[in-house]
Order: sequence, then C-alpha cells, then structure tokens
Amino acid sequence: MLDLFNIFLNSVFAGNILLAYFLGMCSFVAVSKNIETAIGLGFAVVFVLSITTPVNWLIYHFLLAPGALFWAGFPEINLGFLKLVVFIAVIAAMVQAVEMIIDRFSPALYAGLGVFLPLIAVNCAILGVSLFMVERELTFVESVVYGFGSGVGWMMAIVAMAAARIRLRYAAPPKGLEGYGLTMIVTGLMAMAFLLFSGITI
Amino acid sequence: MKQVFDKLRPHFSGHGRLAMLGPLFEAVESFFYIPNVPAKTGPFLRDSLDLKRFMSVVLAALLPPLLFGIYNTGHQACLAARTAAGIWPSFSTGMAVAFPIIAVSYGVGFAWEILFAVIRRHPVSEGFLVTGLLFPLTLPPTIPLWQVAIGISFGVVIGKEVFGGTGRNLFNPALTARAFIFFAYPAHMSGDRVWVAVKNTADAVTGATALAHTTLSAPFNNITELLSSAGFTFSRLFYGAYPGTIGGTSALCCLLGAAILLITGIASFRIMFGGIAGLLCSGLAFNLAAGPGQLPWLSVNPFYHLVLGGFAFGIVYMATDPVTAPGTDKAKWIYGFFIGALTLLVRVLNPAYPEGVMLAILFMNIFSPLLEYVEIRFMLKKRIPNV
Repeated sequence: MLDLFNIFLNSVFAGNILLAYFLGMCSFVAVSKNIETAIGLGFAVVFVLSITTPVNWLIYHFLLAPGALFWAGFPEINLGFLKLVVFIAVIAAMVQAVEMIIDRFSPALYAGLGVFLPLIAVNCAILGVSLFMVERELTFVESVVYGFGSGVGWMMAIVAMAAARIRLRYAAPPKGLEGYGLTMIVTGLMAMAFLLFSGITI
Repeated sequence: MKQVFDKLRPHFSGHGRLAMLGPLFEAVESFFYIPNVPAKTGPFLRDSLDLKRFMSVVLAALLPPLLFGIYNTGHQACLAARTAAGIWPSFSTGMAVAFPIIAVSYGVGFAWEILFAVIRRHPVSEGFLVTGLLFPLTLPPTIPLWQVAIGISFGVVIGKEVFGGTGRNLFNPALTARAFIFFAYPAHMSGDRVWVAVKNTADAVTGATALAHTTLSAPFNNITELLSSAGFTFSRLFYGAYPGTIGGTSALCCLLGAAILLITGIASFRIMFGGIAGLLCSGLAFNLAAGPGQLPWLSVNPFYHLVLGGFAFGIVYMATDPVTAPGTDKAKWIYGFFIGALTLLVRVLNPAYPEGVMLAILFMNIFSPLLEYVEIRFMLKKRIPNV
C-alpha cells in the first residue's frame, strides 16, 4: 500500500511526466492559454492515461513480452518489437472513445479543445507513460496508479501554467520571447521549483 | 543639486545627445528626489506610498539581519581562526567577507538592470535594491564571487527582465538566483564546509549548520538533546549566533524586520501567520507520526523549526514579496500555510536537501496565480470544477 502511495506521489511530483521528463510539451504550451480548456484537457489526459496504461500492461504481458504467449502454446515467441505500434494503436482507440464521450456530454469543451483532443493520440506523455511502465517493470496495480498519477501531475502542471499565463498577459517580454518563448522559460523555472520533491519517499 | 539635474535633463530626454541613457539619468535623479511622474508599471499601491518608499521600508527592515549577519559572519570566522572575537574585530572581519559579496551582487545586478533599461526604454526599478540585498544575505559566506555574479545575473535576467521588469515576474528573483546556483554548484552551497569564512583554509573548518548537524542515524526522540549538546540551544538558535548563511541565521533580527514590515503594513500578516501556522501544524502532525525506528526529525518540537535554518528569513522577507504572492486575502493564508508545511516536509522527509524554505516559496510562487484565480471565481459565486 505504501509502495503504491509512493508511486503515486513520485509520478505527480518528483517524476512529473511534464516537468521532469518534458513529455507532452506541445499540447501543454498550446492549450494553456485558457484555464477552462486546460482543466478540460487535463481531465481528458488523466482519463486516457488511467485507461491506456493498464490496458497496455495487459497487452504487453499477455501478448508481446518475451514468453508472454506461453498460454497459447508458443513460449519461445517474443513480440516485444511490436510494442511501439501496438501501444500507439491502443492509445488512438482510447482517444477516439474519449472524443466521442466529450462530444456527447460537453460540446463546449469539445469545441474548446479542438484539434488537441485527437492530438492526445500522439501526445508523447501518453506513450511515454506506457513505455516507462514497461521499463520500470511495474505490476498491474502499480501501472494503474502510475498512469493515474502521471495524468494528475500533467494536469496540475497545465492548470498552474494556465493560471500563470493570466499574469503573463501583463508581462512585457523582449520581442523574440513573446508568447511561447516566455512560456518555455516559465516551464523551466517551474521544473526547477518541482525539484522540491526529488528524493522524498514515505 | 536640483539645478544640476535640471541643467542636465535636456541632454537625456527627447532628442538630446545622451537620450539613449535616459533611464540611467532618471534612476539617479529619483534616487535623490521623489519623481513627479506617477508610476507607470506595477506594483501599484493604493495609498501615498509609491514604489520607491515601499522599497525603502523593506530596506530598513533588512537592516537588522544585515548588520547582525555581518557581525555574525565575522564572529564565526574569528572563533574558527581563534583570534579575538570581540564586537569590533568581528564586525570588521565580517565586513571584509560580506561587503565584496554584496557589492558584486549590487554591481552586476545593476549593470543588467541598466542594460535592459537603456535598450528597452523602461525606467530602472527600485525593486532591485531589495533583490540585490536579499540574494547575498541567503548565501554562505564562503561563496566564490564569480558565483554571486552568475547567480544574480540569472535572477535578474531570467527571473525578472525577460518578463518585462519589476512587477511582472512570476518568481521571486532573489530566490530564482539562489536556486540556480544551489543546483548548479551544490558543493559551494551546502555541506558542512561552506558556512564559516576563514582566510587560511589549510585546515578546513567544519562549521555545520544546525540543520546539517544531525545525522539520520540519531536515536529516536533525541534530536533536541543532540542539538543542545552541540551548542544549538533554543535561545542560541533564536539569537542566531551560529554558522549559517550571511543574513538568515537570526530569528530575532527577522522578528524585528517583521515588526517594521507589519506596522507599516507593507508585508502581509496573512502570509506570515499562515506560514507559521503551516509550519506548526505540519510539525505537530509529524510529531504524531514519530516513533522508534522512524526518521528522527519527525520528533522535533515544531517550535524549534521556527528558529532553525532560514525559515524566519524566508517567510518574513521572501514569501511576502507583493509581486509573486497572491493578491487576494484567503489565497494569502493558503499560500503562507503551504510554504510552512512544504518547508517542514522537505526538512523532515527529504534526505536530499537540509533546508526547504527556498524551494517551498518558489513552488508556491507557481501556484499563487492559481490560488488567486480560484478565490476570485469563488467570489464571483460561480461553481468551479474540481481543480
């Protein structure tokens, strides 16, 4: 139980998928202009991550990993090289489902997210979490917690950024740094402050 | 004096020969006289205090830690070198150590300020008078001067000027500078060798700070005794006569500064008391979790944490920075509370850093616009989705 809690804390703070690994930057920078949209996209990412990570875990451990096809009578087959393709396919399918759900229940959010909703499919944070999950040899329950925690961490970062950009409207940066440039600098400073949590375990 | 300025003004304004250096002229002039042009950029204030007076009061409040810091730096150096450690020898030794650091911080920082002011045509801000003094006070006395220069450059340029100058930054520039050199040159910023400045370092002096003095193997419920036996009693920690950063050791001096800031109404009492409440609450919570076999820091009396390390300095001078703190009342309480709680979280649970107040404030700087936004939304009586 404590292990799970540690995995959750680590994926939200010290190992924040955005601020420690800089994955998922494109939608982070592009959608953080408006706080409502940022919250919406944050929930979408939490949702997609907490579904795709365990689903990918099942697929990897029962179909792809070396010896995973033991149950079907092919213990020597190793389909690990299909990992990337299959993970992306699963993610794309999940995003389609999320898109339809959002379109059905919140057309306003659907319009606000625009092209970035389908783009979650190619959001490197989503794929990155699945690949980290394989690399760190998590168990099934751990992968659920890790996926959910990474989503929460990403959402926290984008919501904080969206609020910070309300203040940045009054900033007067040098010409070359207006807009995205300043956002990147703020992201870097945020990452520095997030080092607060590095090393904390309970 | 006034005639001199009036005579020189045409050269610096409009199409004068030296119009390029206009902001520099204006800065020098308003250093001597209250300018008769209203402030054009934030932080605006609602009463007769303008930014210049505002910063002067903060500077006055910084005097006690500054003077005591100079004395203490010299005092520790004299004690370590086994020379006379009276008031005047201590003060002059401390001056020799601290003055170059402060001078470099001011000099390099002002050079950047003036460069940006001249190129970008905005006036030089008085805010830097405070940043340039806060930063060296948080440094260990043995810091190499070139690191001071790099740190303050980062703080002024990345922490402030890229946002457009004072009043527009998201992160406290002094803390940005300190965090930068903390991560870039950890060997010069932490450990137990950096806190006492002695000239002949042939035999290195280990002057551990109180926070670094306890090891994780200390037996349960023993930290207070361990600190006392090492000479760190509560009163000594309160007065601040122990090795540490240049200006951050004395809780008493910070208390004096806090009194000045609170009486003049410049710093927010909500942030300060929120921070103290956060520290005490989380300290009590950690006390409840303490037990044999647990981390020894869990069992420390929370009141000790108030006077240990840089917390007092941070919560009085850094957390109350009106630019980077939230502007609404409830958000200030929450902001302060979390600074206190996170400071203690790092001190107790994070083996990587002995001190947490710097990163706790920077971390809450990230969230201060969000706190503000949430409170405003609540004030607008609108339901918000769970953030």
